[in-house]
Amino acid sequence: MTYYNNAVITKRELLVRLIKLLNNDTLLDEIDRIPLQMRPRTNSPIRCCVHKDRAVLKYKIMALLGFNIADEEDELTPLREYAEQALKGYTQNGNFLTVVDEACSSCVQVNYTVSNLCQGCEGRPCQVNCPKDAIMVINGKANIDHQKCVNCGICQKACPFHAIAYLPVPCEESCPVKAIRKNADGIEEINFDKCIHCGKCMTACPFGAISEKSQILNLFYNIKHQKEKTVAMVAPAILSQFKASAKQILSSIESIGFDAVIEVAEGANMTTDHETSELLERLEEGAPFMTTSCCPSYVQFSEKHAPELKPFISHTPSPMAYTAQLAKERYPEHKAVFIGPCLAKRSEAYQHPNIDYVITTEELGALFAALKIDLETVSPNAGISDNVRPESRGYAASGGVTNAIRSVLSAGLQISTELIDGIDKKSIRLLKALPAKKQHTTAFYEVMACDGGCINGPVNVSPLKVSQTKLKNAIREIEPAEALNE
Amino acid sequence: MLTTPKYKVQICCGTMCYIMGGAELHLLIEALPAQLKDKVSIEGIPCFGKCDTNEKLHPCVLINGAELNNASTQKIIKQLLTLDNNDLL
Ligand code: SF4
Ligand code: SF4
Ligand code: FES
Repeated sequence: MTYYNNAVITKRELLVRLIKLLNNDTLLDEIDRIPLQMRPRTNSPIRCCVHKDRAVLKYKIMALLGFNIADEEDELTPLREYAEQALKGYTQNGNFLTVVDEACSSCVQVNYTVSNLCQGCEGRPCQVNCPKDAIMVINGKANIDHQKCVNCGICQKACPFHAIAYLPVPCEESCPVKAIRKNADGIEEINFDKCIHCGKCMTACPFGAISEKSQILNLFYNIKHQKEKTVAMVAPAILSQFKASAKQILSSIESIGFDAVIEVAEGANMTTDHETSELLERLEEGAPFMTTSCCPSYVQFSEKHAPELKPFISHTPSPMAYTAQLAKERYPEHKAVFIGPCLAKRSEAYQHPNIDYVITTEELGALFAALKIDLETVSPNAGISDNVRPESRGYAASGGVTNAIRSVLSAGLQISTELIDGIDKKSIRLLKALPAKKQHTTAFYEVMACDGGCINGPVNVSPLKVSQTKLKNAIREIEPAEALNE
Repeated sequence: MLTTPKYKVQICCGTMCYIMGGAELHLLIEALPAQLKDKVSIEGIPCFGKCDTNEKLHPCVLINGAELNNASTQKIIKQLLTLDNNDLL
């Protein structure tokens, strides 16, 4: 799901710049200069003018500092003030996306537009067939009245010259649960009663108008100034995201200044064992099927859109939750930081008492880049425990949970499984139909909101194909002997 | 038939280049047109110091030792085709 475009690069550049300033202890003095440095007068502007470009950057920074753009009270508040607050700590509210309204509104209000292929023909089937009387022919060319159009698309089908084009609104189109819509001002707004934090709108918007509310600066400030001890909990997907071995990636994370590093795959060991016995128990008791519970976006989906599915979702804690438990046991004083490829984990962690921060692959990459940590040259620290099964690292790709469960099932036991790879309109129909289904041929469903699994999460840095290869390598890195002796 | 590759593409694998679009370049091999398939070798190399945020040259690539800045798959292919067409003259 990582699309390579300039909006993505802008976000990463902002992150790198912010972290660099923080690392040089000049954040407060220089933060308000970032928009000027990135959009100097001499460059041709991306939007209408350089001032608009800078304003957009300012708001993007505000989001990266963890603020909700809509909460801005005074437009003149300098970034410095927001940064001061951010370094002290954030007050999150459980919603982790914010729309940068300065950047948005560039998309169409009405999805249909008449191109210059229009011949102004005599038949005028567009006009005749429009149920809302929204089309007028002016100067020999059809025009759509935006006040009247209801986006039905009949005109497009009616035109024999294919002169009417469909213009999508990328964010709305990408959202599987219709959670993002224009408000009265024409700006996109996310309805958090519906949003499942899948992150699809964020990667879809070519203006980078939808941003996460990040915790990275607060975390890095505390690490750098040793305000608290921290333990990094590293999701297996992270091991597929950088050009280095799994050991090097883990050691590089430690070298940022974390006091300890635990692989979330360790928690996945526990999820596998628990979920397998739960599945067998449930089937014994006559349940028709069970689904996984580790994808937080899927869990939110069931809570907000399909409560009838809830009883069939496993109660087993996610690998992140188990890892948080391990972290608490081993390092009771440390703040727990989850590092992963997922936006929805932010809200899962928010509800979890033992997880203090979530940072993403992108943010981790920006940390590495800003601190000039070159992963390939880092010598692996043998002290980092690799008490993980290969299958547990495998959780990061679709099919991984199923595979892990199969690996611990006693030989001869047959369980029918199915993979739901990505939450989209089609799979939503399938999921919603499951509870009422009479005949069940599948006992275990693995559901992943991102197609391809966590290695295709919305805030990753490697394209899916590269991540797949790299994850395989990371799995192979675990010596079979070690895996047996655990 | 095995020919020795004529063109050496070195992709910077330093973290800055990698996160600023360089990751995509590792799929170059799949995008190469037939004309170039056997003539190109591709390898990753460590950071070579071109990654300043103010200059914005990343992602960086070397083609037969010559720097190509702000590289994209299409830019690399275009450059390779130019080289190849000149060589064929
Ligand atoms: S894609 Fe959506 S969020 Fe992005 S500019 Fe268009 S309307 Fe706004
Ligand atoms: S994060 Fe996903 S569910 Fe929420 S608004 Fe965006 S696309 Fe819709
Ligand atoms: S990371 Fe590519 S030149 Fe430094």
